[in-house]
Amino acid sequence: MKRLLSIALSTLLLSFSLSVQAVSSAQDSIKNSVEDSKGTFSINYVPKRIVVLELSFVDALAAVGVSPVGIADDKDPERILKEIRKEISDWTSVGTRSQPSLETIAALKPDLIIADISRHEGVYADLQKIAPTLILPSRRATYEENLHATAIIGKAIGKDKEMQARLKKHAQIMAEFAKQLPEGKEVQFGVARDDALFLHTADSYAGGVIRALGLKNANTGRSDDAYRQTSLEQFLAVNPDYFIVGNYVTPSIVDKWKNEPLWSVLKAAKNHHIYSVNPNTWSRCRGIISAETMGQDLIKVFNTNK
Amino acid sequence: MATRSLPILLLALLGLLVANLMFGAVSIPFKSILEGFQVGNANYFTVHEYRFPRTILAMLVGAMMALAGALVQGVIRNPLASPDVLGVSHGAGLAAVFYMTFFPDADIRWLPAVALIGSLIAALMLWWLCGQHSSTIKLAITGVALAALYASCIDFLMLVKPLEINNALLWLTGSLWGRGWNQLSMLLPWLLLIPFALWLAKPLNLIHLGDDSAISLGIKANKLRLASLAIAVGLTASCVAICGPIGFLGLVAPHLTRKLVGGRHQILLPSTMLVGAILLLLADLVARTIDPPIELPAGIMTAIIGAPYFLWLLLRTK
Amino acid sequence: MISIRLPFIGQCLALLLLLLICSWISLFSWSVITITPMDALHALYQMNAESIAQHIVHDLRLPRVLIGIMVGANLAAAGVIMQGLTQNPLASPSVLGINAGAALGMATVSSIAPWFGLLGTSVAAIIGGGIAWAFVMLLGSAWRGGNEHGRLVLAGVAISALCAALTKAVIIIAEDQAAGVLTWLAGSLTDARWQTFDSFWPVCVIGLLGAMLIAPTLNLLQLGDDNARNLGVSLMWVKLGGSFLVLLLVGSAISSVGAIGFVGLLVPHMARMLAGQDHRKFLPIAMMLGACLVVLSDTISRAIIYPAETPAGAILALIGAPFFIYLVRKRTL
Repeated sequence: MKRLLSIALSTLLLSFSLSVQAVSSAQDSIKNSVEDSKGTFSINYVPKRIVVLELSFVDALAAVGVSPVGIADDKDPERILKEIRKEISDWTSVGTRSQPSLETIAALKPDLIIADISRHEGVYADLQKIAPTLILPSRRATYEENLHATAIIGKAIGKDKEMQARLKKHAQIMAEFAKQLPEGKEVQFGVARDDALFLHTADSYAGGVIRALGLKNANTGRSDDAYRQTSLEQFLAVNPDYFIVGNYVTPSIVDKWKNEPLWSVLKAAKNHHIYSVNPNTWSRCRGIISAETMGQDLIKVFNTNK
Repeated sequence: MATRSLPILLLALLGLLVANLMFGAVSIPFKSILEGFQVGNANYFTVHEYRFPRTILAMLVGAMMALAGALVQGVIRNPLASPDVLGVSHGAGLAAVFYMTFFPDADIRWLPAVALIGSLIAALMLWWLCGQHSSTIKLAITGVALAALYASCIDFLMLVKPLEINNALLWLTGSLWGRGWNQLSMLLPWLLLIPFALWLAKPLNLIHLGDDSAISLGIKANKLRLASLAIAVGLTASCVAICGPIGFLGLVAPHLTRKLVGGRHQILLPSTMLVGAILLLLADLVARTIDPPIELPAGIMTAIIGAPYFLWLLLRTK
Repeated sequence: MISIRLPFIGQCLALLLLLLICSWISLFSWSVITITPMDALHALYQMNAESIAQHIVHDLRLPRVLIGIMVGANLAAAGVIMQGLTQNPLASPSVLGINAGAALGMATVSSIAPWFGLLGTSVAAIIGGGIAWAFVMLLGSAWRGGNEHGRLVLAGVAISALCAALTKAVIIIAEDQAAGVLTWLAGSLTDARWQTFDSFWPVCVIGLLGAMLIAPTLNLLQLGDDNARNLGVSLMWVKLGGSFLVLLLVGSAISSVGAIGFVGLLVPHMARMLAGQDHRKFLPIAMMLGACLVVLSDTISRAIIYPAETPAGAILALIGAPFFIYLVRKRTL
């Protein structure tokens, strides 16, 4: 029975892929060629079954209404933002982002894989054996790099026009947000865990978004790292006007620090400018939709302030 | 006893080989596996490009690490010794973590080479510190001290560059994920060490009678030790370079084998290779199938399976 | 109890002075907010409530230094007792698996079962360390005396490797906690506050007094188990009591700042070089040396990637591990 099913399924798939090929040969002119992190990537059909191995790529696909068939979501659908989950149809988890299951990816019979240069370079060759693989920066990518990668994805999946339009709209939305936000205010984002606070510096994705919204990054000193673990003493030196915190756990270390006398010395604490946000949106997702959500968060912050 | 155990071990190995090809995130029926070796088959990637090389690699790495463990235990004559006490895997780890933290954008394909160099340097360090004439136990403890030094350097690097922690930890746990034909071909030349190791079996038996009697039997104990340790270093270094330091294999496999077939090295060495291969195949199988599509590093499984068994064994045979 | 001679007193005073200077430097150095050396002094007895610098000294730096001193003294004393009990020059919390066991306990509680708040990371760490040490002593047959130094150390290494492997497994499974757990594992004084101090000092005082009391007996143990027994020492009680003291000292240190390693290995040897073989003398010297070492490495830990911090334990490991190698090379085992 199972075998019958698998035969039926594979014939179905075969005919499906044949039809895709037929379409693409009919429109041979669609040959998309883009520059990814490993050189030139070209594809001569419109990919229908896409597997993505980082969360930021889901964001990029969702922005032009494409649903991936497989996502490396660490087997936790909650990792993907509510706003994005609404946009895409059901997907199959392909395991963790750091070690996705290649078998599951192969079983999904994808016709395009989008991988992260920092995490998946080691299996790039294997991924290519499964399907054409577009490899782009995601982890450690700044806001600008991320926009660039998004544009590349749009072109590769044959939705260049839509993606350009979406990016333009994104720029407009961000500019709109920037108008509503006070200019040049100093905002610092940090992720708080049980026993450590990590500041996202100017080099990080969140730092880039904050700048794009016309706000200012706090000076965190040495800036060779996107994330910096910070003690209370160092945090006193950073002393941002506004402090946005994403708590991975509650009570986090920031909640503990709030009880200490020194905490009240902080500008943000004195003026009650400490706000908590969803750390998933701010730290993990990194994409245009999450950037817009971050903008909305910030507007909420500054509006409650008035 | 040996004659009874060997066929069972072989059978178990065969069974696990097939199981490793069949099971994973997706199960493939036995018949389709053979078809999967044909180019163009629906399962071609999963079977031929992915599971098959990985399975063979697990088998070889398991066998080589276990063999290295048996050699080290044979030479140091202490059941608690393992290739880890030579500091080789920590040296490889340090080199790998150094490479990952300071050259995050560099090509990851060089990692095995870097790790190999690290482990060989570690072996040379040990050699340089101990020289030819120190006692084996002193050698072991010096190795431990060196390992501690490398470990503290690894920790330091990971703490200074926290962004790379997860990648580094994954590598340091030892995993077969993403290893394929390429890695297999890198390992092949090192297989040449195996016949040499087996050839040492007979003299290793004599050394167990004590140095004096070994010398009177015409064996240069020091040279034998050196040769065994050098081979163990080579075996460990090549495995660690490719899969990362997979813990406890070198410690547990020889113990288990000694219980099964006794302490004669002529039988112990080949059987321990079988047992090592079985253990790693089992660990990788469990790591892939326990919660698909999540892939745990095989090193975690060997630790979880190996550690309690090891404790129990030690407490019983003390 | 302590026989008093001038050179010994001199040594004590010199070390005390060194400790005071180290502490004072630690109070003001390497701060992102400028703290003058005078600020550091003023904050101690003439606090200016307006000055942020003095607030930092009083609320952050001072407890940090005090806890550093106590941790150093504790670990050094624990090292001395362990080496005395096992008659093994390499015995110390890090080599014999206590640190690794504590780390495993802590990592398990904080990553896999964070809702397991009942136990708390500190208690988990102490339990883990205790179990690990018990295993090492059993496997290394340390109770039976004898001179198998190698066996005990190998047992410690095996157990440490076991705990480390499981700890790594735990950290990888709970990916997000990795950085925090690792910092804790290395041992850091960053989050040492008055609260920690308040719960730490009574245990510390009891432990250190206990160590001083057991010192004369440790002298007798040096003569060998049989001789000690002939001199009327109840070996079992000494060893049990000593183990309890070690757990108390190490456990309280670990639960306040994390698993700082190598102090227990390094310091007793340095102290022995200064004060000779008499435990009554080199124990207090060891305590002061340990305190200096921890305070100093805490200061260095702030300087090395200024303005960020590395855990002090990582610095100590970098100093301690080469010394370990030196010890192994020098001693005949």
